[in-house]
Amino acid sequence: MLNGVLQWLNRRWPFSAAINAALKEDIPGGSSTAYTLGSVLLTLVLVQVITGIFQVFFFVPSVDHAYDSLSYLRTDVPFGWLIHGLHYWGANVMIIAMLLHMVRVFVWGAYKRPRELTWLFGVVLLIITMGMSFTGGPLPWDQAGYWAAEVGTSIPSSLPLIGSLTTELMRGGTDMGQLTISRFFVLHVMVLPLVLFAIIIFHIVALRVNGAVGPWDSSRHIKTGPFWPDQAFKDMMSACAIALLLMTLTILAPPGFTGPADPLSTTYTPKPEWNFLFLYEALKYFEGPLEPLGVAGVPAVLVLILVILPFIDRSPERNPFMRPVAMAAATVFAIVLIGLTIAGYVSKPGIHELPTSSAASANSANKPKTGLPMMPENIARGATVYRSAGCGGCHSINGSGGTAGPDLSNEGNRDRDRDWFRDQIRNPKSHFPDTIMPSFTGFNDQQLNDLIDYLGSLNGPSANKPSSPSTAASPSEVKPASAVPRSPALNRTAGYAAGTIGNSAQGALIFDKQCVSCHSHNAIGGIPNPGADEGVVPSLNPIDKAVFNKDPRHFAENVDAFIQHGSVPSGKNPRLHMPSFGDSSSLTQQQISNLEAYIMELNGVDRAKMINPGIEPVTFFFIFIPAFLLIMSIMGGIYRCLPKDRKEKQQESHLDL
Amino acid sequence: MNECERCSTESLSSQSAETTRRRFLIAMMATASLLMSAILGIPFIGALFHSTSFSKKETWIKVADVQTIPEGLPIRLNFVQKEQDAFIGKNEIRSVWILRSHSSVTAYAPICPHAGCYYNWNEAHKQFECPCHGSIFNIDGFVMAGPSPRPLDTLPIKIEDGSLLVAWKRFKAGVAEKISV
Repeated sequence: MLNGVLQWLNRRWPFSAAINAALKEDIPGGSSTAYTLGSVLLTLVLVQVITGIFQVFFFVPSVDHAYDSLSYLRTDVPFGWLIHGLHYWGANVMIIAMLLHMVRVFVWGAYKRPRELTWLFGVVLLIITMGMSFTGGPLPWDQAGYWAAEVGTSIPSSLPLIGSLTTELMRGGTDMGQLTISRFFVLHVMVLPLVLFAIIIFHIVALRVNGAVGPWDSSRHIKTGPFWPDQAFKDMMSACAIALLLMTLTILAPPGFTGPADPLSTTYTPKPEWNFLFLYEALKYFEGPLEPLGVAGVPAVLVLILVILPFIDRSPERNPFMRPVAMAAATVFAIVLIGLTIAGYVSKPGIHELPTSSAASANSANKPKTGLPMMPENIARGATVYRSAGCGGCHSINGSGGTAGPDLSNEGNRDRDRDWFRDQIRNPKSHFPDTIMPSFTGFNDQQLNDLIDYLGSLNGPSANKPSSPSTAASPSEVKPASAVPRSPALNRTAGYAAGTIGNSAQGALIFDKQCVSCHSHNAIGGIPNPGADEGVVPSLNPIDKAVFNKDPRHFAENVDAFIQHGSVPSGKNPRLHMPSFGDSSSLTQQQISNLEAYIMELNGVDRAKMINPGIEPVTFFFIFIPAFLLIMSIMGGIYRCLPKDRKEKQQESHLDL
Repeated sequence: MNECERCSTESLSSQSAETTRRRFLIAMMATASLLMSAILGIPFIGALFHSTSFSKKETWIKVADVQTIPEGLPIRLNFVQKEQDAFIGKNEIRSVWILRSHSSVTAYAPICPHAGCYYNWNEAHKQFECPCHGSIFNIDGFVMAGPSPRPLDTLPIKIEDGSLLVAWKRFKAGVAEKISV
């Protein structure tokens, strides 16, 4: 019956012949685990295609929805975490496997005549894969992806003539925006995959034209082994091992939530993905006028080395022990790349050296006079103390700062001596028994002296105006109380940020800048607020029971209403009230979502908690791993136990399909 | 086998010597295909090059009352600008660094001229620092260290009725000249 169907099919399309052609291949020197890297890569491509297609069922490539739609997939869709995690780790493992494959091919001398084209197609595949990595990373439109794309698309703009055109073509305009994500999306899911598949076919056809290269020791070429089933079995076992690795990484090291893309963020320090760190680090050596040279030169030289390799290294010798020059050169090449990657990884982006005095003086020589008053050092340090201790949360200087405490703009003209200031800062109740000012006993003498110097230097006009609503620089920009609604914030609608999964670490940074002066460190509250019924600023850690909710979505909505619209505590005339950070645009929605994630974390709720995981990852792990290992060992056992002749018979029967 | 290869090459080369009906047809079809590709392809590629992202119209936006800006210390001010990003209309929050001395007000674009990152003010060292590649600028915007090819970009400002107005612009990254994009 089955035979009949097969014959019917074969008369109309050469199924058996195609399978025969694919499987019937002699491996010189027999099968080897070292040869499985190519098929591991094919497996990984398959994983990426399948998980990629499943992601597109949910992902929306728009600046408004990309981050939230992916978050939805990861937290709300059953097994969405698995789909996304496998795609994320598959991409990373693919690049590593590809590099190992190249190393294998190099050591075996498999790029040499007549296999030059196979090597070149491989180089093209490497470039396309890097392109896939570059275009895929920004698609979540999170901080990591956004900044990688922003910096990555800026880099070519230093090139002469085609520079800005390239940048604009990649971005779809001068700024990053909707067209940028559209372009990256189309390249990632349409253009590059199509090219990738085409080149994979060329690569494999080129491999089959000249056959597998086999061991470099030609005496071992006498014996050959069949691709089916020996090599195919080893390939399958390697593919299984890779699947196991991906699953383990996905479950034990899931990709994080870096927070929604925020073009205004300065708390996020951009660094490229690990596979572009070598380029990032190398570009640091090309500064100023040399920069275009580095931008175009470094990638061009790297690609050129790979492309010309089979044409400059033309001796037929394949034994790595007989090719000292080639091996040494390759080792240097690898060390440089790995060294640059490590240097890029450990480098603290940002400030690695302070300007030398000579550089400073050289620059100051040709700088125009601006008549700008420079602060003496002690006063400058005092200003820093003032800022970092959160004094500006209550006090105002030249119109910038809070209104709970007295305006300090004219503090230097009040005839107060150093001892008075010292007492006032260390123990404010000694002067004003009813003051709400907390005692600042944590300053050392130097800090205290600097702060007093700074306060004493203040003799500006007492500009007791509220800062403009568009000002975001000051930590608490307290609007007149009448501007903030007195209705309980909980009854008001949550804003856009409530639906977005923020990053709590970034939220903590924002909290320390914007909120700490009223809510105190770790949001434990307790700062006095006379006139309010409670008498103190309420604690956010733990937060009010009416606001708390175990469900991260509801919890975020509750917190969001306060941050967006502000609120005034009940009481006769509270001195402090919550400003409206969202309505006044003094925080971006992305920053607000990060803050919410932080406040929820303080209360033991993970903003990125999976709402609907299908099966919890760890449970899934404990089901999957034993089942998988069992299947692998049974298959391996059967393969080992098969008598040799049976195997060959089996091979015959398969080839005769 | 070898003979056969040779004869096929020979026949090819003899063909190339004169224009046959066959070769003429091939050339004609190739030309027609190329023309067709160009007629369709050029407009298609043109669609990709046409950048529609943002309007380049110069609009003045109030960022603060001049009185409220502290002297001698740069501050970062946010403002909201209505923008059209392709098909999405939205209120984009932008920011500028404002430096006020007793005689003048300067507005710096908040973006490092090197690679487009947003830089910070380091109060302790009295300098602007870019987190991406470590460019350092002094309070006047001059490059003190790092790869930035030019000083911080200033933005056009004007003062009307005590309000500070700024025109938002972006400049080309990575080159020594300040070129508006």
